[in-house]
Amino acid sequence: MSAIRYLRLALLGLTLALAALIRPSALNAHEAAMGVIEFREVRPGAFVGRWSIEPSIGASRIDLRMPPHCFLRLPEMNCGQKGLVGPITISNLGSNMSVVLIKVIPIEGEPRSYTISTANPVATVLGTGAPTLEAWFELAKTYVNYGIDHILLGADHLLFVLGLIWIVGGGWRLVKTITAFTIGHSASLAATAFGLIGVPERPLNACIALSIAFVGVEIIKQQRGETGLTARYPWIVAFTFGLVHGIGFAGALAGLGLERRLLPAALLFFNIGVEIGQLAFVLLVLALIWAHRRLGAVVPRWGEAVPAYLIGSVSMFWFFGRLARVLAAI
Amino acid sequence: MKQKSVRALMAAAILLIGTSAADAHIVAARLGDFYMGASHPLTDLQDVVLWIATGVLAGTLGASKGRWLIPVFPVGLLVGLPLGPLLGNVSTELADATMMLAIGMLLAAAAQVPTLLLCAIAFAVAIIRGAANGAELGPETDRLLYAAGLAYVGYGSITLTMALTVVFKRASDSATSWRAIAVRALGGWIAAIGLMMASLALAS
Repeated sequence: MSAIRYLRLALLGLTLALAALIRPSALNAHEAAMGVIEFREVRPGAFVGRWSIEPSIGASRIDLRMPPHCFLRLPEMNCGQKGLVGPITISNLGSNMSVVLIKVIPIEGEPRSYTISTANPVATVLGTGAPTLEAWFELAKTYVNYGIDHILLGADHLLFVLGLIWIVGGGWRLVKTITAFTIGHSASLAATAFGLIGVPERPLNACIALSIAFVGVEIIKQQRGETGLTARYPWIVAFTFGLVHGIGFAGALAGLGLERRLLPAALLFFNIGVEIGQLAFVLLVLALIWAHRRLGAVVPRWGEAVPAYLIGSVSMFWFFGRLARVLAAI
Repeated sequence: MKQKSVRALMAAAILLIGTSAADAHIVAARLGDFYMGASHPLTDLQDVVLWIATGVLAGTLGASKGRWLIPVFPVGLLVGLPLGPLLGNVSTELADATMMLAIGMLLAAAAQVPTLLLCAIAFAVAIIRGAANGAELGPETDRLLYAAGLAYVGYGSITLTMALTVVFKRASDSATSWRAIAVRALGGWIAAIGLMMASLALAS
């Protein structure tokens, strides 16, 4: 067995140990903590607001700050002749409350949506009319950051990618495999976001856990000298499971109620953010593999199978936890 | 080449001084306590200098000695973390400075440190810095996730620093090669920083 294999074992072991630390509640990472508030204009400059999705921490605990000229006392908001134009922010966004979508329904014109997240805590309302360059820039900033956050908090997605790296190794095979995974999840993310396909979130999360278990089994096969499907056709496996994971990514965008005209751009920026996060993770793993190789740091022979079994155990633990949530909802 | 290295190090130092621990709390609000644990040490000059110094020292001694630090350093951080709240208002500044001075002098002297002593030094550094990181935790922080983040970044930083040093200062380099001299010069700077910090800690 080559040294590089041992290094991967060490990396996997560490990651799995950390993954195991994450509590089951935290593993529902893709059921984002968010709230949706609607402001409907009832006469020029005067709005009625209500929470259509109340945040889990309670609406009363959200410190919503509207533009300075607007007077807000829910359910009423009065912005006078100037109208609802200017910065909106929430001062107490945190780990319990990460995203708030603000929908503005004017008397005339299309409804508009603004997303405030911990990554982008201020949204600027620009009034009616075509989006300006500033609006596009703000959209990019919001959704690229949201995509990065989403992948970095998705322990299951990262574990799947780590499993792929372990089986495939480095070089062009890895580039092709990661590219196939990217194409797969980008396609299904777009299809889901545009409503072409729809899969309930909870069963899907259970399937994502199973995909990691599959990779765990493939690692065991490889250790026994058998050539598994992933070792033979890594890009096909990566693409297929990429489709499943992509629908999961779309769950983060679903429910945000984005304007239809902004959806393609938001989707693009969100996907760019996911790719940035994924690439950073892959580069970090490759850098650590390189470092282990340089240092000749290897895991003892007796421990080489442990991470593969851990990967299976952790993913099945996630699977049964998620399956229980599916059954509880029936 | 050496001038370039000096400039790069000075720029890095300025950047590091410019950041504050508050940045880590922004990360925490955004990505949770695991990432707060991972980012917190990277925003503290004491952590950055001491971790790099430890990694460089281990790297210069060769891969066979250095690789022991891969498990020793993160475990030391985990051992030190729960000691943080016990520190109360006691600062680790003097201990940090002493370790910096010691490691810097060992590097400057190109001393051949035995593996056991190297592990002891790295473990001591990790315990001190683990405690310092643990002292700043608020009651709302998930300590398990924070500890996991801290251990992870400790493992990654020390492993990468050692590997880069092994690549930079090759075993075949003579004691008078520019690479060996550059490492010794770096050791001298680390020792100087440690001396200044110790003076400040004793004066305050």
